[in-house]
Amino acid sequence: MNAHPDGGRSGNALGAGDIPQMNWDQTGPEMKMVRDALFRHVGKPVRRKEDHRLLTGKGRFTDDFLLEGQTYAAIVRSEHPHARIISISADAALAAPGVLEVLTGADMVQDGIGPLAHNPLPSTKFDMKLCAPGGGIPFVGEHHALAIDKVRHVGEAVAVVVAETPGQAADAAELVEVEYEALPHVVDSAQAAAQGAPVIWDEVPGNVFVESSFGDWDATERAFATAAHTVEADFHVSRVTAVTIEPRAAVAQYDPETGRYELFAGSGGAVKHKGELARCFGIDANRIRVHSYDVGGNFGARNRVYPEFALVMWAARRTGRPVKFTATRSEAFLTDYQGRDLRTKVALALDADGKFLAMRADNLSNVGAFCVSLSPLSKGAGLITGSYDIPVAALRARAVFTNTMCTQAYRSSGRPEVTYAIERLVELAARKLGVDPLELRRKNLVHPEQMPYRNAVGQYYDSGEYEQNMDRALELFDWDGFAARKDEASQRGKLLGRGFANYVESSIGSPKERAEIEVFDDGRIEVVIGTQPSGQGHETSFAQVVADMLQVPVERVFIIIGDTDVVSVGGGSHSGRSMRHAGTVMAMASAELLALARGHAAEMLETAADELAYADGVFHQRGTNRSVSLQDLAARLADPLRVVTDNEMHTPVFPNGAAICEVEIDPNTFHVAITRYVSVDDVGRCINPMIVHGQTHGGIAQGVGQAMWELCAIDHDSGQPIAGSFMDYGMPRTDNMPFFISEIAEVISPTNPLGVKAGGEGGTTPALATVTLAVLDALAGMGVEDIAMPLTPQAVWQAVQDAANTQAKK
Amino acid sequence: MYQTTYHKGQSLDQVRKLHAELPEPSYISGGFTLIPAMKNRLAAPENLIDLRALPELRGITRDGDRLRIGAASCHAEVAGSPEVAQSIPALALLADSIGDMQVRHMGTIGGSVANNDPAADYPAAVLALGATIITDQREIAAHDFFTGMYATDLAEGEIILRIDFPVPRSAGYAKLRNPASKYAIAASFVARGSDGSVRVAVTGAGEDGVFRWFDAEQALADRFETASVEALQPDPGMMLSDLHGSAEYRAALVKVMTARAVDAQGSVDIC
Ligand SMILES: Cc1cc2nc3c(=O)[nH]c(=O)nc-3n(C[C@H](O)[C@H](O)[C@H](O)COP(=O)(O)OP(=O)(O)OC[C@H]3O[C@@H](n4cnc5c(N)ncnc54)[C@H](O)[C@@H]3O)c2cc1C
Repeated sequence: MNAHPDGGRSGNALGAGDIPQMNWDQTGPEMKMVRDALFRHVGKPVRRKEDHRLLTGKGRFTDDFLLEGQTYAAIVRSEHPHARIISISADAALAAPGVLEVLTGADMVQDGIGPLAHNPLPSTKFDMKLCAPGGGIPFVGEHHALAIDKVRHVGEAVAVVVAETPGQAADAAELVEVEYEALPHVVDSAQAAAQGAPVIWDEVPGNVFVESSFGDWDATERAFATAAHTVEADFHVSRVTAVTIEPRAAVAQYDPETGRYELFAGSGGAVKHKGELARCFGIDANRIRVHSYDVGGNFGARNRVYPEFALVMWAARRTGRPVKFTATRSEAFLTDYQGRDLRTKVALALDADGKFLAMRADNLSNVGAFCVSLSPLSKGAGLITGSYDIPVAALRARAVFTNTMCTQAYRSSGRPEVTYAIERLVELAARKLGVDPLELRRKNLVHPEQMPYRNAVGQYYDSGEYEQNMDRALELFDWDGFAARKDEASQRGKLLGRGFANYVESSIGSPKERAEIEVFDDGRIEVVIGTQPSGQGHETSFAQVVADMLQVPVERVFIIIGDTDVVSVGGGSHSGRSMRHAGTVMAMASAELLALARGHAAEMLETAADELAYADGVFHQRGTNRSVSLQDLAARLADPLRVVTDNEMHTPVFPNGAAICEVEIDPNTFHVAITRYVSVDDVGRCINPMIVHGQTHGGIAQGVGQAMWELCAIDHDSGQPIAGSFMDYGMPRTDNMPFFISEIAEVISPTNPLGVKAGGEGGTTPALATVTLAVLDALAGMGVEDIAMPLTPQAVWQAVQDAANTQAKK
Repeated sequence: MYQTTYHKGQSLDQVRKLHAELPEPSYISGGFTLIPAMKNRLAAPENLIDLRALPELRGITRDGDRLRIGAASCHAEVAGSPEVAQSIPALALLADSIGDMQVRHMGTIGGSVANNDPAADYPAAVLALGATIITDQREIAAHDFFTGMYATDLAEGEIILRIDFPVPRSAGYAKLRNPASKYAIAASFVARGSDGSVRVAVTGAGEDGVFRWFDAEQALADRFETASVEALQPDPGMMLSDLHGSAEYRAALVKVMTARAVDAQGSVDIC
């Protein structure tokens, strides 16, 4: 990795002058007013408006939709990781009771349905741009809803059976006979990228389809060559799956008269799905209406279109009946888009005093059989230097195809991976230099005076007080009380360990968002927005924002999402974008609405607009008794009191924080218990602390889950996934989690009117590092220096055995 | 799940007749093993015959030096029974450690023993306590009953009515749970009979399902203390190896769990 690779000289596409807009500059009296009006509701733990509905079973999840005459789809899936399809015989299935249709890839081609239009390359202005080896646009594979000539992962859809009942469909699916010619397979990214590996796509003979380099390679080499100290390490951040509580589902119908498809499918963003499905079907987007209301968990897995969404639409057209698909839990484990799976080789150069001089990274992302998203690779690429001021860095970022399920952005896409790498590397450096790891971190942190700070691969951190996060976390954790706790634990025969990590992450996301705000004559205010909550409480926190800006009670504000016939534009929810993008466009729309309303009010009261004062939803003519409310205006105007506002915002923000984990290990069973967990998270402006804490708690559980139990294990010889149910896939649960101590730090971002960063992913980002470092700390006395996730009792036992064997050999 | 027909059993004669006459029959008790297997299309009985209402399978009684537990008793009933708590507290606590609340209110001791899952809890207790499995046809000693992973001595259509446990001098159980499934990765039940004999039965770890660890029994019969176990070396060659534990790790755990079960006489040690 030392040499500058020939290919992939793309670097970051940013030109030197291309600095993100750091200060939100849209002003005007109304914008000032809406910004000044905040804090009646904003910042308060307003109870979630959606909970009553959800807790009383009134949620509208996909499988709740029953369309008249609905039929059911079952999918025939590949049992091979890699095989050529010789033939498919549907005769027996077609003859089975209740079967209406059996469709294969050949039928799909005949009907002119193209591949899913994933658009995997991150393309907003400040994303790290990725290219093919040698430059150019990478070949990303063609992800057809049904395999055409060959299958490339276990679970790939090969045929779809439509029948009157779910049972009939499942029974008949077993009767579809598929003849395969097995091909050699490869599931591991390093093996797939090595010489002579089985080729997954003829178009990419070496399987590596992305190779880009970033940073300053020459300066990095020079720094390494003369550095007093260097450390390096090789990590694999394991593969996990989202395990949403609601399995993925879709139901579609087709109207032959209008030629319109209607799809009910919970996702991370209905508008985006509509556009991508239109491209897949080669039709105009207005011929598709997508509904996505309540969603039982996303975590990134639902951001991209699933093959079954296209299949139920197509089957509905073919059969003339609505068609529903609901994944079983087994199908979810096998074929939900998965997360992580990054190999990273990192090195750090330090001077004699422990100042960081340079960093090198070589990142290899396992995208699976088709490239659904390069967000994890790209996001991570921008943050390899973490929270530290490292003057120069050099990074090679590659992505490789394998015979595995596709990976996708998974909660905090790409960032836990690189946080894990840098924090473990810093810890190794501290050990090598014999210095306190916390002091080493402090010495190298980015300081508030450096903000906005350009890191060595070209990302601009907007704001943050990193050392303060550290101090606060250490205090909440009672870092200094650790020695006493360790003593106490050792008296009980237990090993105590602690792991600290700083983190910084980026929140970018789809740049466009639209808000429509309308005031009705009954006083109700509707806000149509294109984000898509899956538990984050948008109906509450967005309503808080608009209620403050328009100075009305939060109970009057209703957030409308999820029907693409109502919501025309919207980027969905991913990458921590929702509150920032929605908050910004809602602020703009609120300002516009007030400007519009002021004009009408002036007309109605026959006065000049600037004679009017606005407070508590009412325009009041100064020095008089005359006034008119927004509600009155709505009632009296001939036209709706409504604005539609668009915004495009590229500037990213950088949520950040510090977290600490304490574990207790039983040295006989090697069972690890998490006994203490502290997290301090700078989310920028916090709209609803109750919701943000909830997000932090869930985020921690999800990160800890990966570190401790979760793994999409695959048998390398057979290519078969071997953790296909909760029997084998371990999850965080109430009985294996401690109470969390979380604190919100609010360093207001200058990049948007509310000052929002993001609050959904910070819990996850440092957790892989904190847990692993805590376990390593507990095992330090046994000579264990490295351990791979998940840190199951077996893994800990094995690490201890290996260390003992190594020591015995010495 | 494949199409199936449910029959609620009314009497022993009726269920035996149904089982003999209907195609592809299967008894069902709590259904917490059978139904998941059916949902995953791994089992396809055409007729399910529910045993839970049969009076012969119900009730928990103490009868002299025997504790009799009806096969249809769910884990929560065993865990909550004063008779069990007074006679063999470790057995009540073992039942209380099975799965989760839902499992404990549906799964039954008869179903668990008939199924003989290699990681199930009851088989260890049944074997270590030297219990007798009473069926509608005969009485089977525990050491003849468990014949390998998911295998028992039950004949086709034979029904477990109850399990009779001799009340021991003391017993203890220790288990390390699999973090995913919460079944045992390795668990050991150590019982001292009223005659001073010691039995050690291990579940979760054996390649062939539940087994007696004779070396430990002997060592403990000589001196009933944890040190007796610590000197031993279980054979990794007879252990299970999977995602959650290699044979070597399980062998190490068998020792640890057995020592803990010795320590935990009159109770359990679950982690
Ligand atoms: C999520 C989950 C977690 C679990 N965790 C644990 C655990 O930690 N430890 C543990 O030990 N178990 C665990 N179990 C298994 C649970 O205890 C089962 O319920 C039990 O093992 C089987 O009992 P059942 O009554 O449900 O049997 P069923 O599923 O009804 O039947 C199982 C088999 O036994 C046969 N059978 C049932 N009763 C009789 C009888 N009286 N005579 C003859 N044959 C009979 C049936 O025909 C069937 O073949 C778990 C199960 C689940 C679903």
